[in-house]
Amino acid sequence: MPSDDKTKHKKTRKSELDSALDQVGDESVAAATKEFQDLLAQAKGDTTELIRQNAEELEQRLLLLKEHKIDKEDFDYFVENQKRDLRVFIDSQPAQAQERAEKLTLQLLGMAATKIAPLLLAMI
Amino acid sequence: MNFNTAKNLIVRNAFLCAAGIVVASCGTATFTKTGSDATIESLRSFHLAFIDEFAVPRKRFNGAAFDARVNEGDTKFQQAIANEKFTARRPVLIDLKAQFDADAAHLRSKASHGKVTSALASEMKKDINKIYDHALGR
Repeated sequence: MPSDDKTKHKKTRKSELDSALDQVGDESVAAATKEFQDLLAQAKGDTTELIRQNAEELEQRLLLLKEHKIDKEDFDYFVENQKRDLRVFIDSQPAQAQERAEKLTLQLLGMAATKIAPLLLAMI
Repeated sequence: MNFNTAKNLIVRNAFLCAAGIVVASCGTATFTKTGSDATIESLRSFHLAFIDEFAVPRKRFNGAAFDARVNEGDTKFQQAIANEKFTARRPVLIDLKAQFDADAAHLRSKASHGKVTSALASEMKKDINKIYDHALGR
């Protein structure tokens, strides 16, 4: 069944990124990695479709970067695209929900670009 | 015709006129919205075709052809912005043009250095489809 295949594919992808990030030995970097993994998992399980979709796209692009299918320049470019698209969504949220939405989207993207992507590239 | 009958006729005609205006303006708004949606779809097709034409791995970069296509795109987006009847849609079209400009700059830098990959092309197209869907309120 196609939906089962898709689920299996996503699960494999998720564990692929997690297992790569779990290899980080340095304690200071490991803390940031763990924070990123927790935030990513939270975003992927969010009830808002746009937050989930953004997290899934980000994860997929981190894997493409790790596999050398895109380079850091491309990755940063996509992160900026995602940020631009998300700002409209965040501004449209009620004031009390904005901080949370920002954390699960813009902050997550920022961490990916500045900490996780360089880490994945250094591990190769 | 007594005074009351005349008054009722005037009120009825005024009501019918107002209803007619409302129905006609709704029809015009729907028609304009449909036209505006079609413009956005046409820009999406052009934008995607641009990626298909130049985001090709190992294809030799043709600067003149690239610039010509970018200029064609600029004209299309500017015309769409100028002709947009829905004033609320203009900022949306301006954002779409900004995305086209950014995509063109990124693609020029990658293609001219022979650094285009099929993953880059497919991710760019994914983002393009997403922003056009959002522009159309989907």
